[in-house]
Amino acid sequence: MPRPALIATLALCLLVLWPLAPLSAQSDTPLQDVLQTVQEQVASPSRAQVGGVLDVLQEADAPGTAEFLTRWAEREVFERPEDGLFFYARDGADRTLTLIDLDTGEDVAEVTTRDVNQIRVNAGVRREIEGALVTFELLAPDRARRMAAVRTIARSPEADHIPVLESALSEEEDGAVATRMARVLDLLNARFASDSATRVAAIDALSGDITTEARRALNQILSTGSQFAPEIPEGTNVARIRTPGADLDLVDAYARLADADLVPPRPGRNAIRDALRANVSDGAVAGIPVHRLDTEEARREAYRLLQDEGIVPPLPTQAEMDAAVAQYVFFDAYLEPDADVTTAARAALDSTRTSVGIWQFVSLSLDALSLASIFFLAAIGLAITFGVMRVINMAHGEFIMMGAYTGYVVQTMIPDYTTSLIVALPMAFLVTFAAGVALERTVIRHLYTRPLETLLATFGISIALQQLAKNIFGTQARPLTAPDWLAGSIAFNDVASISTIRVAIFVMAIAFLLALLFILNRTRLGLEVRAVTQNPGMAASMGINPDRINMLTFGLGSGIAGVAGVSIGLVAQVTSEMGANYIVQSFMTVVVGGVGSVFGTLAGATLIGALQKGIEWFNPGNTLAAQTFMVLFIILFIQFRPKGIVALKGRAAGD
Amino acid sequence: MEMSRRTAAPVKRRHLLQDNPSVLWFMGLLGLFTLGVTVLSEGFGIGLISTNLVKILGMTLCLCLIAIAMDVVWGYCGILSLGHFAFFGLGGYAIGMWLMYARTEIVIRESLAGSTIPPTEREVSEAVASQIFSVVGSNELPLIWSFAGSLPFQLAMVVLVPGLLALVFGWLAFRSRVTGVYLSILTQAMTLALSLYLFQNDTGLRGNNGLSGLQNIPGALHVPQSVISVWFFWASAFALGAGYLLFAWVVSGKFGSVIRAIRDNEARVRFLGYNVEGYKLFVFTLTAVISGIAGALYYPQAGIINPAEIAPIASIYLAVWVAIGGRGRLYGAVIGAALVSLLSSWLTGGGAPNIDLGFYRIIWTDWWLVMLGLGFVLVTLFFPKGIGGLFDYLVRKQ
Repeated sequence: MPRPALIATLALCLLVLWPLAPLSAQSDTPLQDVLQTVQEQVASPSRAQVGGVLDVLQEADAPGTAEFLTRWAEREVFERPEDGLFFYARDGADRTLTLIDLDTGEDVAEVTTRDVNQIRVNAGVRREIEGALVTFELLAPDRARRMAAVRTIARSPEADHIPVLESALSEEEDGAVATRMARVLDLLNARFASDSATRVAAIDALSGDITTEARRALNQILSTGSQFAPEIPEGTNVARIRTPGADLDLVDAYARLADADLVPPRPGRNAIRDALRANVSDGAVAGIPVHRLDTEEARREAYRLLQDEGIVPPLPTQAEMDAAVAQYVFFDAYLEPDADVTTAARAALDSTRTSVGIWQFVSLSLDALSLASIFFLAAIGLAITFGVMRVINMAHGEFIMMGAYTGYVVQTMIPDYTTSLIVALPMAFLVTFAAGVALERTVIRHLYTRPLETLLATFGISIALQQLAKNIFGTQARPLTAPDWLAGSIAFNDVASISTIRVAIFVMAIAFLLALLFILNRTRLGLEVRAVTQNPGMAASMGINPDRINMLTFGLGSGIAGVAGVSIGLVAQVTSEMGANYIVQSFMTVVVGGVGSVFGTLAGATLIGALQKGIEWFNPGNTLAAQTFMVLFIILFIQFRPKGIVALKGRAAGD
Repeated sequence: MEMSRRTAAPVKRRHLLQDNPSVLWFMGLLGLFTLGVTVLSEGFGIGLISTNLVKILGMTLCLCLIAIAMDVVWGYCGILSLGHFAFFGLGGYAIGMWLMYARTEIVIRESLAGSTIPPTEREVSEAVASQIFSVVGSNELPLIWSFAGSLPFQLAMVVLVPGLLALVFGWLAFRSRVTGVYLSILTQAMTLALSLYLFQNDTGLRGNNGLSGLQNIPGALHVPQSVISVWFFWASAFALGAGYLLFAWVVSGKFGSVIRAIRDNEARVRFLGYNVEGYKLFVFTLTAVISGIAGALYYPQAGIINPAEIAPIASIYLAVWVAIGGRGRLYGAVIGAALVSLLSSWLTGGGAPNIDLGFYRIIWTDWWLVMLGLGFVLVTLFFPKGIGGLFDYLVRKQ
């Protein structure tokens, strides 16, 4: 018995004697040393002996074992004959190899290909190694590695994994890992188990599971293929029989028969044209002059004449095609021959349908809610300037843009995203508040009696501001990056999830709503604002300065637009045109909700957000169509409820 | 324009020209201008004006036409429509469909003429469809293109599509008494919906690629552009003249008084027994139709139309032109549209020299819109009558 083999045997004995070898962490024994104990079996592996090597490796659990096993199977391990040591290698110049140490990963020596032996692994050994690799990881002491191994199996399921996973499951002590293993085992059994009872049981266990992997496995079991035959063969698991002319196009059915060489192919329009073209003689085809062949009927007629002469393959008549197709049964058959399995899978899939539907609805609602928050944020400033003051501010969108650019500038100066966001929010408010006050003082106050001209003048401001932003920041989009703690997403399951940033925006929208309600209803300023809105003359005679109030109100609305700009900038791109994208929708939000009411704006935003997402659901991936229909809906909605959802009544209505 | 002519004697029916002395002036100037451009053009004259410039001038005339339409609906009737450029674009699309289809059909027929067997109608139409729609990944002719090969049909569409849209939209809006800024926002929403609709690839109008190659006129494919440009210039000048006359007639007389009264106080006119909605609907629809015609003349000169042309911003610019030129007078709208659009294409087209201030270099393409925006604010604030107001000043001085 050669010496290494002896050592291996000894090692095996040790294994048996020490079944409770330390499991807590990987041992510190270098891999090379472990391998040297079974040097010969590693260097020239055979199927009979490889099992022993794998056991040794698994027990020693040296660092890098998994990588070694992979590369061993891929024939990427080399042996140096002088000392019997193993190395990885990388191609060097001039057909040389650079040997790499197994444990340290350092370059060891430069050799020619003749100096080392590449270890040949045959297909049988390779399969053993790959199986062991899975087992190796499934039995790893580290919980995370076991979980990763289960995940790998779930990603590329194979029949071979079933026994491995079963044995691993029987030894698993961690509850969560065991549950996960059992679920993956169900997935494997459902598709690959040998007897139908096990499969049906596994499928039943999967019923009601709405994870993507479970539904994918079930759908795979239920995959079908179209077939046809004179009569349905014995043992076919038929999913559906197709009736030509009803749910199967006659021409398609005939073409499929032709593809199988059962009937002569039916020449299509192009084939007829080519055949005619090939048989033109003296400016005519079969006696019909060429210039008359500019209709389908004439061409078919000419073709039939050619056919009578036997020059071209026959063109089957409708009756012939009907007769040919009628001789066969066309059906979809499950690729899975076992009917019990497919029935169970169908039932299991159906059982998930309701809960998948409910979760899809939840997901859609979350999307709608997040879109509604964005609309609300964009429109809430307008709810003040337009809703309360009845001032049309077409530059509102540019205030949003200004806020977003403020956020961007702050971010370039303060590198920490969290701090910069905290600084940017009040900064944006201040900047746009100032801009709003300036706009009110210089332009809008002169136009309180001419609302249509306010629209025009503020539009002029909007053009100028947009172009100014373009001149300063350029046309390309600027990033406004959210801090890392806002970057992830909250997943309820495989169907429904929402990104954290959208939750943050939702929270922001709520905060805005509350703050605004507080200011308008509970503060001196709010009281004065409402007084000036309802009756400026009376308010003035009660000692309120309407000029000051108008200025502050407009500033407040603009400032809120600025803060909204920062939040919108986090989810959308910051460009000079970003405001223009929101302005029409914002106005519609306010109008649909009901002018003059903060709750109205909320209702409007919710309605528009829900509507847009709802329409998108019917027509997935087509946001433009959803927007089109949404605007149409709003136009119609205003017909029937011109004052919006929340219509003010009495004196507050202002008319 | 004054509403309160309570003591007026039985109104004697005055002649159109008495009400609008500007009509004669305008017609004269337009005629002279047309003659001048023709004589100086490359196609028919001494070639001092390049073909490109003839096209720009022709397009400007079309913009003047839609501007007077806008003036009637806004300056005279008080409806600030932010949707008239949508009607303009629809007219352009209607004629563009025929131009594109017919030209492609000619090209296809020529290329198939050499084949041994003449093509069937179906083969031709399939080849045309795949030629036009391959850019949006389709090779089928959408339903709305069914009659695109027929010029009379598409010409009818130029009038009918904007007209019907305006009729339906206006009926809905005016019936529910949507007025003032609400109406403006609603028309803007309509424009937005239309442009979003056209931006989609699967709506059969080539998505954001739009329709192109419109400068090639089927049936005149071998006529040089220098000649075609003058033809279109004449057509545009004729349309503008006819439109001016039509609108001058509409806004004069009793009808004109009623719509001006609606602008000034809608409720009073209603109490006097007038069907306010009917008047507004008529004006809105008529101006939409004229806008469609203007668009149908504009886009063959521009050569390309895409949904961006219809975006809400375009309609707002239209309002800007009219406001700068002076609302409530037709020549004001013409002046505003011509001045602003020509200035804009001169300054943004690189025609104007940049000014070096030493510390800063003023590049007109960057600063033109800033100037336009602020200038517009100034006009709104301080010169509500616009440039046209200067004429009042001159007339009063005499």
